[in-house]
Amino acid sequence: MTQEQTIQATLHILNKSPSHPRFATCLAALHEGDTLALAENAVLAVTDSTAGLPRNCVALGADLEARGLAGNPNVQIISYGDLVRLTAEHSRTVSW
Amino acid sequence: MTTLIVIDQAPYGSWSGREALDMVFSLAAFDQPAALLFIGAGVNWLRKSQDAGGIGQKTVEKNLAAAPVFGVEQILAEQSACERFRLGEGDRLNGVELIPSVRDALDRFERIVFAG
Amino acid sequence: MTTLPLRNNEGFLEDAGSWTPEVAQEIAAEDSIKLNENHWEIIDFLREFYKQHEMSPPSNRLFVKAVKEAFGDDKGNSIYLMQLFPGTPAKTACRIAGLPRPTNCL
Repeated sequence: MTQEQTIQATLHILNKSPSHPRFATCLAALHEGDTLALAENAVLAVTDSTAGLPRNCVALGADLEARGLAGNPNVQIISYGDLVRLTAEHSRTVSW
Repeated sequence: MTTLIVIDQAPYGSWSGREALDMVFSLAAFDQPAALLFIGAGVNWLRKSQDAGGIGQKTVEKNLAAAPVFGVEQILAEQSACERFRLGEGDRLNGVELIPSVRDALDRFERIVFAG
Repeated sequence: MTTLPLRNNEGFLEDAGSWTPEVAQEIAAEDSIKLNENHWEIIDFLREFYKQHEMSPPSNRLFVKAVKEAFGDDKGNSIYLMQLFPGTPAKTACRIAGLPRPTNCL
């Protein structure tokens, strides 16, 4: 991978449900241009009207499907492979 | 690249912190640089004179004191959390570096993993 | 032969507090190891490590690292430690020193 392809922003991988204290901490730590990837219980945020998700937000399809939320279109749905690619593209990763 | 492991939960209540410690020791075993950051109630890991024998557990402060022996480079703690939990200089493990803001600490590392 | 304190199925003492130097000699004899002063140096080091940290060095690599930190390169290397404690040195040495099994030694 060349330097040009690396995005100088942070990828935040969040797997805590919206009622977990770390969910709010993570959202408060987001900077402009950062990407938020929702995994495991964090995907419940797509159906939580109080979640306040950022524009750059993606969610793992398998976790949405598992919870009956795959029909929800308000975030971009990604695969495990996409998540690996995002991790490689970003210069920094935080696993919350 | 140094991996920063963040512990934000109090010791003894759950296994998540111990898993974090295992992660740090595993990184150290393979000479991967690692650092620890304690925030929120997690700073209670750092208190001196813990004795967990009575609750049938190992004392985390003593376990943690082995980290520098294995090459863990830095142990950081959130200053405001230390103040909140009354963890003054004499009350905490030696060699802990206080950081004024969690965001600043996160900015110093490229790979960050929260425990548990 | 004295009666050995309670041990688990891998020969590790159930209670590190029940260890004595005689127990160490008996456990070592099971592996055909006759303890000399080089063995005792490492055993004493492990006993002290356990007292301070309430755990065994968690893996063989970290055992070697801890010995290196304490005694330098001449002793803190796998070849030296493997000659003293054949097999997986951390496991063999912890068993003889009466410590729990290192958690990450496969």
